[in-house]
Amino acid sequence: MSQSLPRPKVLNGRNFPLNCWYVAARSNEVEHTLTARRVADLSVLLVRRDDGTVTALEDRSAHRPYPLSLGQLEGEEITSGFDGWVYDLSGQCVRVPSQALVPLAAQVRKFPVLDDGTFVFVWPGNPAVAALRPPPRSSWDNPDWTAVGGQLDVAANYLLLHELFADVTHIPFVHADVAPQAVASAVPPPLEVEVTETSVSFTRNYPPTPLAPWHAEAVGLAADGAYPQREQGSFVSPGLWVDRWEVLREDEPRVLGFTQAITPVSAGSTRLYWWISRNTTREDAQVSESLRGGFTEYYSRVARVAETMQQVIDTDGTRNDVNVSADEVALRVRKIVNTLVREESGQDSGRRRIRRTANL
Amino acid sequence: MSADTRTILREHEADLLVQQTSAAADDVVVLTLVDPAGADLPEWTPGAHVDLVIDENLTRQYSLCGDPSDTKAWRVAVLKNPDSRGGSVAVHERLQLGTTIRVRGPRNHFPLVGSPRYQFIAGGIGITPMLPMIAEARAMGAEWHLLYGGRKRASMAFVDELTGFDDNVSLAPHEETGRMDLRSVLGDARPDTLVYCCGPAGLLDAVEEMCQAWPPGSLHLERFSAKPQAVGGIEESFEVILARSGMTLQVPADASIFDVVQKAGVSVLGSCLEGVCGTCETGVLNGDVDHRDSILDDEERESNEFMMICVSRCKGKQLTLDL
Repeated sequence: MSQSLPRPKVLNGRNFPLNCWYVAARSNEVEHTLTARRVADLSVLLVRRDDGTVTALEDRSAHRPYPLSLGQLEGEEITSGFDGWVYDLSGQCVRVPSQALVPLAAQVRKFPVLDDGTFVFVWPGNPAVAALRPPPRSSWDNPDWTAVGGQLDVAANYLLLHELFADVTHIPFVHADVAPQAVASAVPPPLEVEVTETSVSFTRNYPPTPLAPWHAEAVGLAADGAYPQREQGSFVSPGLWVDRWEVLREDEPRVLGFTQAITPVSAGSTRLYWWISRNTTREDAQVSESLRGGFTEYYSRVARVAETMQQVIDTDGTRNDVNVSADEVALRVRKIVNTLVREESGQDSGRRRIRRTANL
Repeated sequence: MSADTRTILREHEADLLVQQTSAAADDVVVLTLVDPAGADLPEWTPGAHVDLVIDENLTRQYSLCGDPSDTKAWRVAVLKNPDSRGGSVAVHERLQLGTTIRVRGPRNHFPLVGSPRYQFIAGGIGITPMLPMIAEARAMGAEWHLLYGGRKRASMAFVDELTGFDDNVSLAPHEETGRMDLRSVLGDARPDTLVYCCGPAGLLDAVEEMCQAWPPGSLHLERFSAKPQAVGGIEESFEVILARSGMTLQVPADASIFDVVQKAGVSVLGSCLEGVCGTCETGVLNGDVDHRDSILDDEERESNEFMMICVSRCKGKQLTLDL
């Protein structure tokens, strides 16, 4: 073990790319009302239209700094609660009370938005670039699977959450009571890391190992049996980390899928949406309730660790942290994110400056 | 005390089906590659390339030149060049419709950085990475100009995809216009412009030379063959310290850092092993690097922060690497 490269200072106070799909809400939270959210340092207003699609506008009147979400929605029009300016759902102002003609620039920004039935994603960056990128890839959208979910606000930079999901080494220590027995095995299987230009994922294949009691219950297997297992985790994008835990059987594997939508709210705060889906015990409401309860606790613990790290950084600054080989995944995540942010902001004028570690 | 967790690092690899082939110009064939089962392919951004693994000893890099939003198909264009080391001829001859090929990547060492204006310069098959870059520049509302040279009009691929942009594109078929007029686009250094260049070594060298007068970092170029290196004297042996792994290894005169590190059981990425593709780029924590790759520019070399461990070595007795 030795020191690694120092972490450079925050880049304009922001270390997340804007050209990315981020979850702004659960689909079932967005109705024909004015729903206000903060995403990537922007105020976003979400409205479900009469045809069922979702519109995302910047939540600020073009006239004065006043949120549109404090106004009134009637049909397909929003009336500002401050000045009575009326906007349609394309963001165009269509009437102002004090004169017959609408001022030329009276328009609010409209964000690309994508509703897949589970989550509503918004694209805070350049709308034209959104059309040149594929939609977010998810693992929760198998309609046959049963899922439970939750969300929480975390007072920490979003990258700290990615780094926790990327770090398999802390699980036996932070989550000793619920960690799968497999991760604490005496001879750990290799950590297989696969990279592409924009993603990194890891896989570990475990020999037959007993399941933790909650896990056995969730996948409908006896707790005293031993089963080969496969663990996978993927950094899909700056807004998405997904994991899968498979208990391998002769027939279909029994799978728990974990989707973590990681939405930067500001430099020091993040909203985490989690979603756990399974292909077994699908009718069992008791399993759903235990998973919901158990993972509400699990993710609060993840949040507390991230918040603690953020507090240390805020108090004492960043350091040249020492890395081990197993930190490869987290270091690749930093590299990808850094590259995306630098390229998008045009601040990379050469390779040298994009190869640094995280901007926290 | 538990045993070591071994970390095995690899790039994404898949056997892809040649779903479509078409001629894009004289001696240029365009391949459409898809997953045989219809699965999604990894995301990529303009400037990215993949390895086509033709056989055990033959791997070549090709820029992705299709639409980055298409998750089902990749497009590459291959020049049949009898002078090359056999890669492109083999691709032409073996990659018939319906066959499969191992594809590694994507990776990107030629990324399009945000800028108000771009000057693209392509020579021959070097047009391929420029196509998605131009689409991106247009979408972002950036100004752009392409100078595209080739032997003759019929040998220049994708000219049809550039029609309609007459104000933005200058075609320079050698038969008609003679040598590419680089001075017309690079003569005046412009701080608002990034220069992207891909093509044969002669073109890259000329562009590199002219961009000496531009602000540092303006030029981005991609080489697909190794830059000739000055033939040195006798190689020296040296020591590498792997910081993360906590190991110290001896690199003998006749072996590369890459080989020594791999043999010691530390997993590192590598592909071309001749300093061209950038896959094995590694952080340098201490020591003086003897750079021998074809990727890093002078400024990057001087920074001494990164090296390609497949070809580059040590000027002194010891290097400390972020591995």
